[in-house]
This record gives sequence, C-alpha cells and structure tokens, in this order.
Amino acid sequence: MYQVDRAYPYILYISMALYVVSIVWGLFLTPEDFVQGNSYRIIYLHVPASFISQSLYMAMAIASAIFLIWKVKLSVYLVRSIAPIGAVTTFIALISGSIWGIPTWGTWWVWDARIVSTLILFIMYLGLISLHDSFSNHEKADKFLSILVLVGSVNIPIIKMSVEWWSTLHQPASITISSKPAIDLVMLYPLFGSIIGFTGIVISLVILSSKLQILKRERNKLWVKDYV
Amino acid sequence: MNVIKYELLKLRSKSRGWLGPILVFILIMVAFPLTVEISNKDLGQSFFSVLWIAMLLVMMLATEDIFLEDYNDGSLEQFAISNINMSYLVAAKIFIYWLLIGVPISILGSLFCLGITNSTHLAIHILPILLVTSYIFINVFSFGNALSLTKGSVLGTLVTLPLLLPLLIVLGKVVISINLNLNYLGFVGLLLGVLSIIIFIIPLIISYIIRAHLE
Amino acid sequence: MYPKVKATNLSYKINEKKLFQNISFELFSGSAIHIQGDNGSGKTTLLKIICGLTRQVKGNLELKLDKKVCFLGHKNALKQYLTVEENLSLLGVNDHPDLSKHLIQFGLNKSLDINLSSLSFGQQKKIALLRVFLNDSDLLVLDEPCVGLDQQSQEYLCTFINNELTLGKSILFSSHISLDINSEALNLSS
Repeated sequence: MYQVDRAYPYILYISMALYVVSIVWGLFLTPEDFVQGNSYRIIYLHVPASFISQSLYMAMAIASAIFLIWKVKLSVYLVRSIAPIGAVTTFIALISGSIWGIPTWGTWWVWDARIVSTLILFIMYLGLISLHDSFSNHEKADKFLSILVLVGSVNIPIIKMSVEWWSTLHQPASITISSKPAIDLVMLYPLFGSIIGFTGIVISLVILSSKLQILKRERNKLWVKDYV
Repeated sequence: MNVIKYELLKLRSKSRGWLGPILVFILIMVAFPLTVEISNKDLGQSFFSVLWIAMLLVMMLATEDIFLEDYNDGSLEQFAISNINMSYLVAAKIFIYWLLIGVPISILGSLFCLGITNSTHLAIHILPILLVTSYIFINVFSFGNALSLTKGSVLGTLVTLPLLLPLLIVLGKVVISINLNLNYLGFVGLLLGVLSIIIFIIPLIISYIIRAHLE
Repeated sequence: MYPKVKATNLSYKINEKKLFQNISFELFSGSAIHIQGDNGSGKTTLLKIICGLTRQVKGNLELKLDKKVCFLGHKNALKQYLTVEENLSLLGVNDHPDLSKHLIQFGLNKSLDINLSSLSFGQQKKIALLRVFLNDSDLLVLDEPCVGLDQQSQEYLCTFINNELTLGKSILFSSHISLDINSEALNLSS
C-alpha cells in the first residue's frame, strides 16, 4: 500500500501531461481531414475512451475468472473498483461519438450495431454496480458480480466484430495489428499519444478506486488501523 | 425422469403460472391491431416488432418466480441436500416452463402472423424461430431471476435484458431473410447453435448461483 | 467405531465478523446432539454447515454416511397450491407402509384431498415432519422440530426419535425448549 502511494502521484501527473500534450498536438498542429474538416479532432477523445471501456471490461472478466477459480479476494476488489470507471469511460465514448456524429452523419444517434452494443456495455456496467451494491452479504455479492461479468463478456466480441459482420454506418478500425493503418501518419502519432495518455489517467484512477475499495472492505483488520 | 415428472405436476397444477403468461400474450397481440389504424401493408411491417417485444415481455413475466417460489418455501434447500444433480433440476424446470409456456406462445404467434400478414410462407417459417427464441429467452431470464433471488426479480431482469438486445438485432434480420428467401437456414443454424451452448451452460451457472444463495 | 459426523474447530464468519469459533464435536451412530444457544448464536447456520449447504467455513468437517441426510429446517418445503396427497407424492412417500399410521396419529388421515393452504400452521408442520418420520437416511438434522406442535405430537416426535436412535441413526437437532431425547448438549453461546 505504501509503495503504491509513493508511485501514484508520478503516474498521475506523467500521464496527464502526456495526454494534454497529445491533445494540444492533435487539436492545433495537425492538418484538416480531407473529408470531415476540423470536426474529426474529437477522435482524440472518442477512440481512447471506447478502446479503454472495452479493455476495462476485459480486465474485469479476467479478474473475475481469477476470483472464481483461485478465490483471490483482491481480484474481486479490483473488479468492483473498475466498474464505475468503466461506466464513465463508456459514457464519454458514447457522448463523444454522438457529438462527432452531428457534423459527419447529420444525426446524433443511429441504431447501428456497434453503437447499440456500446450502449449495452454502458447498461451492463451500471447493472454490475447495482447488483453488487444490493447485497449486504459481501461473499455472495462478490460471486454474483464475477458471474455476471463473465456472462456479459459475450458483448465484447460483438462490439469488436460488429463493424465487420454487418456493413454499418460506423467506420471500421483505422488501426489494426496486421495491416497498414488507414490513417495518415501525422494524425496517427497524436492518436497513439492520446490513447496512451488516456490509459495512464485511467490506470491512476483505477489505483485510487482500488485503494478505496480495499480499505473499505478490510476495515476490521489491524493493518488498516495502522495505515489510516 | 422423476424430476421432470414432478416439475410438470407442479407447474401444471399452478394454472396461473402457465395460463397467465399465455393469456397476456394473446391480449397484447390482440391489442396491437386496435392501436394501429393504417392499411394492411404497414400493419405487416410493424407486426414483427410487436411480436418480439410481446414475447420478450411475456417470458419476463413468466419466469418471475421460476426459482423464487421454491427458494421461499424451502424446496431448493431440500434439492441441494439430496443426491439429485442441481443443474439437471434447473434444466428440467426450464424445459417444463418452455413446454407449457414457450411452445403454446410460439404456435399462437405463428397463427397471429398468419392472421395479420396473410402469408402462410411467413407463418410457417417463423414457427421454428419462435420456438428457439422463446427457449433462449426463458434461459436468460431464469439466469436473471436466479441472480436476484432475494432482491426481487426486477433487478435480475434489468441486468440480463441488455444481453438479449443483440439477439433482437439478429431476429430483425431473420424476418428480412424470410421475406427475401435469403440465407434462412443459416440464421436457424445460428440460433440453434446459440441455444445449444446456452442449454448446457446456463443450468450449470444457475446451480452455482443457487448454491451461493443458499449459504 | 468411527463417528458419523466429526467436526474439528469449525469457525464461521459473516461479513468479516465471527459468528462462532472453534466448535468441535463427534457424533456416533445411535446418539444425538442437542445444539443450544441464544438467538443469533449460529444454531441454524451450524446445522446448514453439517448438511453441506454452507461451505464458507474454516475448520474440518468429516461426514461418513452410508445413506443421505434428512434435513428439516424452518421452511416446510411443501407446495401451498397442491393437495396433501400430491405434496406427499412429491416427497416420494406416498406408498410408504407406515404412512397411514402416522397420519392417523396426527389426525390427518381424512385430509388427503384438502389443499395444503387450508391446513393450519401446526398441521402443515406435521405434514412436513412426515419427511422425517418416513426417512430413509442415517443422519437426521432437525432445526427446531417442535415449533407449532401440540403437546401430544411433541411427545410422539420424541418417542419416534428415541426409537430411531435405537435403530442406529444419528440425530443432530436444535431446540429452545427441552425435549425428552437422550442427547448430549452443545452450547454455541460460550
């Protein structure tokens, strides 16, 4: 706990700095997009947010599996602390997506598979939080939370693959592992920077939230009384 | 075998348990043409949305106390102690619910389709889809019911409803494929595949959840 | 001779607070243990642990049973919307030879066609007790078996249990009132 406390400010400030730098670069120094004009710049918020929201869910799924198989209490604390952060990031992704939609598609909402699946992800995050908090018996609550996370993880492949399976309005991924990126290099670097920066901020938030969760759940133990 | 027989006896005797949902379904499907006052062609297009939503709601209603009643009067405790495999019991329960509620609703839905769209082709092709979909709905809603066994069924349904929305998207495409006679068997295969995975996994998960509740 | 149930240092916590700790006992066949304690001391929880319903317990529990466990808890496990006879068929005791004997003793032999919801609380408890009377197991776990019973039925139950003990079964029960059963006491409040 003490080591994490020491490292924490560094992680937070470095990642915030990185994110601010990439935002500024993206907003002011890159040229206009050929088709979309200046409005594409919201990509520096939207792409990291949606990428993180899906990765957080996968992290929760892995942690839930660890909890169910090996009964490590720390993993389920992690799951519970990631949940609200995941909800907020998904919300940011949805809102930034709608704002992007107005200039490009002419409407702020469309019923396309990827968007609807992301909305489902948002509702699932909220459902997970409300399910866990409605049980007063913590051991039961933990088990049900983990099971629901795992069952709900079928949604993630649907989100990722939906742009391939059905030809939809949402554009396919510009960055893939195998092929050359479909986006120009000048815009690519700030995009990477903003993804990494956003990830850093989110990780620092997760650390903060997990600390809170651990302290709350273990408050009857002796070491907590020393620490606080 | 005994387990299935006992579950059948229990649900059959509790007539409000199976007759209620079927009647609600009929009422919803009958109410639909009353609220829509346009030409026959448009009626056919929006009919299917009403059909899927009605089936969703009725399955939600029907599974509201699938495990709750047994939990409240102690029968689940007795099952957990006995030698019967809990997943087998759960699967039997879900099967009986599908037999007494899902199958009649699918047949009725098919008949309503015939009545409103006047197309036997549609009605016959929609029947297997309805049968498989109702089974999937019952499975998922029972999962939700089991999760929130002590907290009221609304929480559980709310939490599992999002999982079914992708299924509704697929169902919309199925209807289009029936109309255009395109890839119908592919969709049936997809639904059957999903069902076959769900039929095995959900009872296992539910029996784990029930044992956790009983602690 | 090995004990049917052997518990060593059982401790149970709920929400990180301890309910009871270091409970140890051995239960041999032909003997009974009466679990005593104040309200909330964990009697029902301990019985559920023995039955295997609760597994979040520290300590060691060994069960060596030839047949299964017969458990009767606070809830009756009967269906209100079925008749007495249908409920008995769900329990699987419809064609047991001793059934009519016990029904006559309880005064319920003419009530087979009545809906369970029309019976009183005590009468429903008697039907639930039939699970114990017609059991085919070697460990009986009873949680407050005499709640709601009249004096005559209580004595009948105690006589029956003492008889089961002579047949070599083991019995674990909790009760606030003292019952006329040859048993050791296990107090959870200490």
